Amino acid sequence: MAVHFINPDKTSSFINVLNSDPEFKIAARYMTKDVCIEVGKIKCIVKFRDGVITQMKSENAFADPWDFAIRGSVDAWEKFLQPIPPRFYDGIFGGMIRGNFVLEGDTVSAFSHFWAVTRMLDIFRELQNK
Amino acid sequence: MAVIEPVVGKYVYLNIQGVEYRVFYEESGAGIPIICQHAGGGDGLEWRTLLNDADITSKYRVIVPNLPYHGKSLPPESLEWWKLEYRLTKSFFMDFHLELSIALDLDRPVYMGCYVGGFMALDLALEYPDKFRAVIGVGAAQRGGPATLDTFYHPSVTNNYRRVNAMYFCAPMTPEVHRREVTWCAMQCAAPTTKGDLYYYFKEHDLTGKTHLFDTSRCAVYLLTGDYDPTSSVEDTMELAKAIKGSKFTEMKGLSHAGMHENPPVFKSYLTPILDEIVKHSEQP
Repeated sequence: MAVHFINPDKTSSFINVLNSDPEFKIAARYMTKDVCIEVGKIKCIVKFRDGVITQMKSENAFADPWDFAIRGSVDAWEKFLQPIPPRFYDGIFGGMIRGNFVLEGDTVSAFSHFWAVTRMLDIFRELQNK
Repeated sequence: MAVIEPVVGKYVYLNIQGVEYRVFYEESGAGIPIICQHAGGGDGLEWRTLLNDADITSKYRVIVPNLPYHGKSLPPESLEWWKLEYRLTKSFFMDFHLELSIALDLDRPVYMGCYVGGFMALDLALEYPDKFRAVIGVGAAQRGGPATLDTFYHPSVTNNYRRVNAMYFCAPMTPEVHRREVTWCAMQCAAPTTKGDLYYYFKEHDLTGKTHLFDTSRCAVYLLTGDYDPTSSVEDTMELAKAIKGSKFTEMKGLSHAGMHENPPVFKSYLTPILDEIVKHSEQP
């Protein structure tokens, strides 16, 4: 299963869907952070500026800075993106408790903006299965 | 004609460890008393469906208290609580339930609790087996384990964090309307309560080396854990059930952290056989 949100060909449509989602627009308000979503060895840097996603970069992003990162193996993300994920892969926080995902960097900022981040990941799942 | 629920809310004054607390509780039904304890950083809203379930309230007097500092149970007037770090301790939590039983004149009630409340089910059964006829621990485990609690009460982290955690502590098959209610309720309690309640959960509850001391002939022990729960897994609770002789464990399929709130009909399907067994046992001479 290919992980769609790291596919550069899909980046533009993902950004459009995210920025037009009513819940995401409320959840992401005031957020200006760079978030690294790491899928195995691939980094996807998502740039938030004043609550709007301005860029998703998964090509040549290995040296790009970020505020906080959520890391998981390819297998972990494939499970997370299933329509009904298996237990311990259905949420990032629960997955962290069980060691399937890792949060690194400015964790206070991550938790401050956890609603926006988790809504974004839910939309990733919705688009993965569309 | 307007729909009016049979649930009644009252206040009872409890003296706990020398301090008077005005404690809010709801109740509904008649029969064997069953105290339903909310989870950490929560309040009695978690049990609202059970309070309105005629199948249960026809046999049970369902009582849902809010711990001091939670929901409508305010901090005490006699303490300068704002100068203190809010922290739920095991001794306070146990004394709260002992005093509540006395104040409401309950005859060996059933105690049922979720998470922080579920852990308390075990501590009560271990230390006061003659005060409760049975305990039902939802998401109970032998111990809480290490954890960093600071992010649960931090000036940069709002109640939205708790809301999100609650949302993803619902199994993915949870009806959306319930998932969103769980998240809304998770934001209701005062900011310090989640961190303070988890002090008991993570730091004080530990049954290591004590499980052989349970006497389930005096106080029956039932354990319910959702298969999606990442905090107390099915395996964690099974390990505990094996260690407590005479305890009964049920895996709840399709539920996670707070089954009674995230998917009440599914939770009820697992709870009903336990309640029937308690009724049957209570009728025996």
